[in-house]
Amino acid sequence: MIYSDIEGVLPAEQIKHNAKCHSLGNDGNQIMEAYSEEDISKVLSFAYQQSKTVNIISGGTKRGYGGELEQADILLSLGNYKGIVEHSVGDLTLTVKPGTTLREITEELAKHGQQVAIDTPWPELATIGGIIAANDSGPKRLLYGSARDLVIGTRIVYSDGRIIRTGGKVVKNVAGYDMNKLFIGSMGTLGVVSEITLKLRPLPSFEGLSLLQFPQGGQQAIREFSMQILDSMMEPVSLEILNPSFAEKMTGNRDYTLAIAFEDRKKAVQEQEKWVKNHVPIDAKHCVMHEEQARRWWEKFRHFGPNGHNDEEYNDSNTQAALKIGSNNFDVLIILEVSERLSKEHQVTTEAHGGVGHGISRVFIEGLPENIVSYIKALRSEVERRHGYVVCTHLPFKLRKLVCVWGEIPPYFALLEGIKHTNDPNRILNRQRFVGGI
Amino acid sequence: MFGKKRQKQKPDDAVIQQLMQIVGDSEVLYLKEDLIAYECDGYTLSKGMPKAVIFVKSTKQVSDVVKYLNTVGIPYIARGAGTGLSGGATPLGGEVIISLVRMKRMLHLDLKNRKAVVEPGYINLKLTQSISDKGYYYAPDPSSQYACTIGGNVNENSGGAHCLKYGVTTNHILGLEFVLPSGDVIELGEEGIPDRPGYDLLGLLTGSEGTLGIVTKITVKILKNPEGKKTVLAYYDDIGDASQAVSDIIAAGIIPAALEMMDSIAIEGVESAAYPVGHPRDIAAFLLIEVDGIDAGIEDQIDEILTVCKNNNVREIKVAKDEEERGLWWANRKMGFGAMGAISPDYLVQDGVIPRTRLPEVLAKISEISKKYELRIANIFHAGDGNLHPLILFDASIPGESERASKAGSECLKVCADVGGSITGEHGVGIEKSAEMRFIFTDEEMTAQTNIRAVFNPEDLLNPGKLFPQPGRCVEIKREITKVVVS
Ligand SMILES: Cc1cc2nc3c(=O)[nH]c(=O)nc-3n(C[C@H](O)[C@H](O)[C@H](O)COP(=O)(O)OP(=O)(O)OC[C@H]3O[C@@H](n4cnc5c(N)ncnc54)[C@H](O)[C@@H]3O)c2cc1C
Repeated sequence: MIYSDIEGVLPAEQIKHNAKCHSLGNDGNQIMEAYSEEDISKVLSFAYQQSKTVNIISGGTKRGYGGELEQADILLSLGNYKGIVEHSVGDLTLTVKPGTTLREITEELAKHGQQVAIDTPWPELATIGGIIAANDSGPKRLLYGSARDLVIGTRIVYSDGRIIRTGGKVVKNVAGYDMNKLFIGSMGTLGVVSEITLKLRPLPSFEGLSLLQFPQGGQQAIREFSMQILDSMMEPVSLEILNPSFAEKMTGNRDYTLAIAFEDRKKAVQEQEKWVKNHVPIDAKHCVMHEEQARRWWEKFRHFGPNGHNDEEYNDSNTQAALKIGSNNFDVLIILEVSERLSKEHQVTTEAHGGVGHGISRVFIEGLPENIVSYIKALRSEVERRHGYVVCTHLPFKLRKLVCVWGEIPPYFALLEGIKHTNDPNRILNRQRFVGGI
Repeated sequence: MFGKKRQKQKPDDAVIQQLMQIVGDSEVLYLKEDLIAYECDGYTLSKGMPKAVIFVKSTKQVSDVVKYLNTVGIPYIARGAGTGLSGGATPLGGEVIISLVRMKRMLHLDLKNRKAVVEPGYINLKLTQSISDKGYYYAPDPSSQYACTIGGNVNENSGGAHCLKYGVTTNHILGLEFVLPSGDVIELGEEGIPDRPGYDLLGLLTGSEGTLGIVTKITVKILKNPEGKKTVLAYYDDIGDASQAVSDIIAAGIIPAALEMMDSIAIEGVESAAYPVGHPRDIAAFLLIEVDGIDAGIEDQIDEILTVCKNNNVREIKVAKDEEERGLWWANRKMGFGAMGAISPDYLVQDGVIPRTRLPEVLAKISEISKKYELRIANIFHAGDGNLHPLILFDASIPGESERASKAGSECLKVCADVGGSITGEHGVGIEKSAEMRFIFTDEEMTAQTNIRAVFNPEDLLNPGKLFPQPGRCVEIKREITKVVVS
């Protein structure tokens, strides 16, 4: 279908002119609301033919994540394209529309004793499409893996409106290239994810959480304890270290805190908790929570840091930012320490946590814009010295011009550009949202 | 060992001479009698003669070879142990085979960060063997693990009996170094640190069947041994009951480390092979179920499994009494494919995947296919994740049987595709299933994939003619199948 103007693409009530530009950018002149895959395809065909740029949004929690284009021609909204397409209980698979929030999915699956093992923040706001596109993850990836381990199939609307399926609906599949992987973490620059099939897990029959709180200077003890548990046969679901300021908000105590989750049969959880108890370093405080109490603790954990909704009004005096840092597993502790030391030097406040078994850390920052910028630069150089990377997962639009969101361009950038070109030759999708301005 | 004596005389072929310059005279095979072993991989229904086989020792050599072959426009194929079951390492004719088997060192072991760096020719099982004394192992365990290389595993995204709980190769690869067809060396997932910014090329390369680049270094995740392990063997008189038990185990919220099934013909095979267990010959199927993890949690799961099996009319059920018995059960199971040689002159392994709840209906259809083509079909499955291996038994010396076997195999895959499954769960598409890609992908979807290939491999000199149906060529290959003599 050839459209000459935007009004013909979707019914009038699905198109809204957008006068104001969001302080986090990634906005669009016309907001086009998709209710179906066909809608998405129509919008993209139109944009492709008319060379219009398209930003994509669902829950909007990641509006501050990358992007050098403040306002595209179109903001394609998927937030209302939601719902479960198919839950095959016996096969432990779920097919879902991208605008479904993680909370909606969790609640539906819980009725059948199942879960999608993703513990990302703001589950009531963040949609599965956004989580996959941004490759978001939480502390429990230690045992359960991340999006790339869970997505088994997708439907993608390519930039010209074509619909392409990747993967399938079965848990094991090596037919053709593993195209699923391309779209996970691609920040919507290769196509619009219009359907996702995920591998599920049974809900654990019992949950426990052991917190170890280490007094100031106890970092060495954390290191030794972490090494010991990782070298044991225990199977923690998380080994997340909270820096003192984050721990204070979570527990009331300003101590480095190690959050060790166990999810298994009750007896197995108890056995592992016994192991922890027997290995608690002297000086460390130890407490244990179970079931509902443990779940509440994690629920609170998932509600920290800025997102596209709690940071709508850009305000100079307390600007917010968030970082994702990847490092060698055992550098996590060092990175948390460095992030704390630098926060004093650069006069910003920070809260941070990182997984000593998986190497991903998160830092939430608050302060004056210029201090945030200098802080990120300083932290990045420290992390890169240890061969890690820093990505800014939340930053006001203005600051994204001052500090490179994605860090260094990889030496194989030409391959990334080549892939972008095959999928989106006119560069209309989330233009400049990703590495190297892709 | 590589026919050095016979090759003393210098060849006159300029290409061979140049290859010798790069990798050394003794590292190039070019005489017909030396090349015969490289005419195919573990899939023997299609064969092609390579131009030469060369043994590389370093990334630089790979890069130099590739650059040179580009200038002369000669296609090339990377090869590991050649145990692939879909013809991935099989020449169409005239390619240079770049064998990685001499690049077989472990380069680095970092237990603290739970990773190891190996060269591509490193044998899968060796990895686990070399770290087991420290209590660690490498999870993906294809039945061919005593022979296959990690480089081959990466390129096939291989699975194994234990991937139900632990995932397949792609879930265990943290980093790769590979040589692009341009000769450029690329490093992905530097230091094995996850989620580096950029498209997930690591995920894309894994399972690309040697068509996007030649892998020269691999960083893998290693795991700590589970504290406990228990293995159950359950005999069934009815295969439907066994299938139902599989579904019920999963529905009970148990994720066994392994959940395998074999039917009566497969049992006949393994009982005639090297590791007979003494399975009753008159059962319809058995399930081999393993649960691992924290000791204290295992007993309850075993109890539940016993209950589920009993509720599904199990004839006999037993728990392995010691490591020796467990080892025997697994050796018997892992002999599965090879054992077919004991009961049939030839066999063709298929590799379909189905939603596990559709097992009974798919088995019934496979049985119809067996009748239609008058060929016995044994079934070995990774039942827990719905990955079926119908083994089609035939005799290539009987005119027409190879062709019938190939058609029956294709029909089995159609059945899998029709219930929403896939044509391959772990063995790859290669030459064998390229036409069957049409069962699950549209032309447009395959073009989306070949466009990606063109980004890496624009001239299609690296392993050409694989994975995707090729107009013309594909028909030729199918025709070829009927001609070849199978081992
Ligand atoms: C008896 C038997 C049992 C088996 N059981 C299983 C099983 O349980 N699960 C399973 O998944 N598979 C199984 N297989 C299949 C096979 O062993 C696997 O596919 C294995 O990963 C192949 O490894 P290889 O080293 O033999 O690779 P090859 O056969 O040499 O090559 C496989 C493919 O990878 C490419 N390749 C190899 N090395 C490289 C490299 N370094 N860079 C780029 N491309 C490369 C080749 O071009 C080819 O396309 C079995 C095979 C046999 C014979």
